[in-house]
Amino acid sequence: MSTPKPFRYPLRWRAMDFLEGAADRLWPSKLSRFTGWLFIAPALILVASLAAGLVEIADNSFRKLDVETFRMSDDYSLDNYRTAFASDVYLNVALRSLGGALLTTVLTLLLAFPYAYVMVRTRSAAARKALLICLFLPFFIGQVVRAYGWLIILGNDGIVNHAISVLGIEPQRFLFNFPAVVFGLVQYMLPFAVLMLAPALTAIPEETETAAKSLGANWPRAMWHVVLPMAKPGLIGAGLVVLTLALTDFAMPAMLGGGSQDFIANAIYDQFFRTSDAGLGAALTLLLVMAGTFLVGVVLSLFGAGTLAIGRRT
Amino acid sequence: MTFNVRNVTRRQLLAGTGAAMLMGTASRGAFAEEPEKPAEIIVRAWGGSWVDALKAGVSDPFTKLTGIAVRHDLTEDNEIKPKIWAAVDQGRVPPIHVNWDTTTNATKSALRGVTEDLSDIPNLKNAMETAKPVGLEGYPIVNTYGYVYVLAYRPEAFPNGAPKSWKELLDPRLKGRLAFYNDGIGLHFPAQVAGGGKLEDIPGNMQPAWDFIKQLKEQKPLLGEDPDFTTWFQKGEIDAACTISTNAREAKKNGVNLAWTVPEEGCKYDTDGLWIPKGLPANELYWAKQYINLALSVEAQQVWLDGLGLPGVIPGVKPPADLVNDPSYPTKPEDFKHLIRIPSKVQVEHESEWFATFKSIMQG
Amino acid sequence: MMSGSQRFWFWAVVWVSVITLSAPTLVVLGASFTAGNIIAFPPEGLSLRWYEKIVLARELQQAFLRSLIVSVICTVISVPVGTLAGIAMARFTFRFGNAIQMYLLLPFTIPLIGSGIGLMMLFGQLGALGSLWPVGLACAVINLPFIIWSVASSAALLDPDLEHAAANCGAGRVQTFLYVTLPAVMPGVITGSLLMFILAMNEFLVSLLLTDARTVTLPVQIYNSIRSIITPDLAAVSVVFIVIAGAAIALLDRLVGLEIFLKSK
Repeated sequence: MSTPKPFRYPLRWRAMDFLEGAADRLWPSKLSRFTGWLFIAPALILVASLAAGLVEIADNSFRKLDVETFRMSDDYSLDNYRTAFASDVYLNVALRSLGGALLTTVLTLLLAFPYAYVMVRTRSAAARKALLICLFLPFFIGQVVRAYGWLIILGNDGIVNHAISVLGIEPQRFLFNFPAVVFGLVQYMLPFAVLMLAPALTAIPEETETAAKSLGANWPRAMWHVVLPMAKPGLIGAGLVVLTLALTDFAMPAMLGGGSQDFIANAIYDQFFRTSDAGLGAALTLLLVMAGTFLVGVVLSLFGAGTLAIGRRT
Repeated sequence: MTFNVRNVTRRQLLAGTGAAMLMGTASRGAFAEEPEKPAEIIVRAWGGSWVDALKAGVSDPFTKLTGIAVRHDLTEDNEIKPKIWAAVDQGRVPPIHVNWDTTTNATKSALRGVTEDLSDIPNLKNAMETAKPVGLEGYPIVNTYGYVYVLAYRPEAFPNGAPKSWKELLDPRLKGRLAFYNDGIGLHFPAQVAGGGKLEDIPGNMQPAWDFIKQLKEQKPLLGEDPDFTTWFQKGEIDAACTISTNAREAKKNGVNLAWTVPEEGCKYDTDGLWIPKGLPANELYWAKQYINLALSVEAQQVWLDGLGLPGVIPGVKPPADLVNDPSYPTKPEDFKHLIRIPSKVQVEHESEWFATFKSIMQG
Repeated sequence: MMSGSQRFWFWAVVWVSVITLSAPTLVVLGASFTAGNIIAFPPEGLSLRWYEKIVLARELQQAFLRSLIVSVICTVISVPVGTLAGIAMARFTFRFGNAIQMYLLLPFTIPLIGSGIGLMMLFGQLGALGSLWPVGLACAVINLPFIIWSVASSAALLDPDLEHAAANCGAGRVQTFLYVTLPAVMPGVITGSLLMFILAMNEFLVSLLLTDARTVTLPVQIYNSIRSIITPDLAAVSVVFIVIAGAAIALLDRLVGLEIFLKSK
């Protein structure tokens, strides 16, 4: 009979014991209530770098530009905010941005939901992969080149106009207007929305839909009464992302808008870079941040803080 | 200033071909001391044919002469401004050595006090009076050439020949087929005349300009920047634009049939220049000034400006063959009769309100 | 199983999306082979001259390398920070939950230009401009919500009972975290990190303000060239990007399986 091998304490266990001991010393159990804060602290600190910039921007927003020296005034005043609110231009820009962002969000969600649903529910792995690839590849050619591609397709001399001229229709101006900007934003945001919706839809077991159907619901009713409510957190999350990104977008209105469809970010660009009025630019930035954060706050309080906890059991 | 005594052979080389172009070497006598050379200097330039022309005319000769490499920063003039201003404010070394900028933009930096004084550059002695910025003390910037915001057009769209007046753009058949700069630059002043006003009223009463521009708005023009004009002409999206002649010439070189003209109300004339931001180490400042000095030599101006098709500030530069007697290449006083020149200081002071008014008309 | 009518309508919408997503890609692909001087589709003649041009362009290659470095730095920073935050958001309830979520959404509610200028002033004061790590850090900050959300949606589905069970079996907190929590959120972490990497590779607005001619990254270089004239070498660069991306995706599929983006557990 061979002697049993002596038991050797595995290295991994030793390492684990060390780590556990360290954790106990650094973060004793009585602090475990605050473990959540510990985990979220790095993110809070990282975003603080933006918040610090925001403070400086806020400070600048109260100073006026002196056109003799192109420096900010030493004293504080509300003049920049008065300019922002008094002028029609900024009101138009604000309404356009808000309307555009809301429209983009609705349209993107309408397109993203079926896409995510099909991707998640289809039986064919090949189809799923193909859909994923279609989603990812446009990322790699960047916003600007994509917009240029659309100019070629939708431009006056472009593919679509060539096609419809064969049918005898006059060339249409598809670009350089508000619909073109919204279209550009939707196709840019679509991959983001799908990627945020897909996990939420995966979490909905297919059996619930089958059950609904076996109880007599046709597919639109099953969607409306069963799937959509369960997917709500995912929809809210995707919606918030698309809303904030569309509201603050700079590239699409600039490239597809033909110069006449400025969004707030374009107006801010003009102030910081063209007229070098950092004060007015700062005021507009701050107003935009407040508007965006307010919208986020409204959505979160309406739909609950559980939006991030997609599918969390309470 | 750190001085390295160079060896004899280099001194002899410098005293030869390069002496006339480099500062102080010949006149300093026996010891041609120069500060230490940096490995490279960074010059901001507009990309495409602009930087190509600069390379051929100034940067490559500079490298050949001094051995210092020239790196070109293609950041837009507008976008590098806050970066330079922040660097100077925070006491850092600025991101570039030489800024090739519009005179108006450069004036803003000069007013802010972030530019080095360039009065001691030798080749300024040979320059025309257009090289001196109007309304500023000394030489915070050096103008290097002028350009005209012409009315560029596709001849097929104008069968009766070149448009004689800006008012011809109000023809309904041109609806949606016009293009202007985003902020209306180049258009404000001719619009003042076309709207029935007088140039002397700029900036006091610009209402005629805005009235004319309101009429233009009915034509639903496209608004953009230089590359957009080239793209739009190339893709047949527009028939006429108010743009710098260089862009029209560029599109023409790429096969688009374009022409340009100065209508009876006139066209805006402005200048571009070079300046050096504050905060550079002393030796790099010296070599940056050498760069500008070279840019003001006849040979450099000839090659550089041939590429751009624009008139320079050094006497003796000849226009390229296709631009002799062209209205966009003014050389004699008569050529300037129809060109509108407004002092940079006025432009700088009122630009933001003009841009804002133009945008509010166009975006409303 | 989807019913026939549902399948029809959904796939119709999907095809519309697929076409709009892919059309510019195909156009750019085709235009890159043009023998002419402008980006056009169909291309005027076929030639590889634009590819030749970019292969010879050393600045483009250096810019590309810098972009890679920036993307790696961004991913390395954002993955731990985002993973911890995502787990925290999903597993713990906070006193000021809503306020924290609004704060963590600042990277999206502040326009990129505002973020860029703010970060430029901050890093300028710290004297950090001129290196690549601030650019990587900036990319991590402005896209942070993506990875937080990605991890949170994975973490939310983690049954807390699993962690209790582990504790019951004698696992300490660190062990539970490493052997139960982390593997469960892995799909979210992988999705998030790929997203962060891609977004950092394409970021140009904030990088514009944080880089100079010596540290310029590829998207900024492209953006700057576009301001003057748009030539087909741009299309060629995009195609190279796509090819590399395709290779990376294929590799990812081989290693982990692309399905991971759809999973939450």
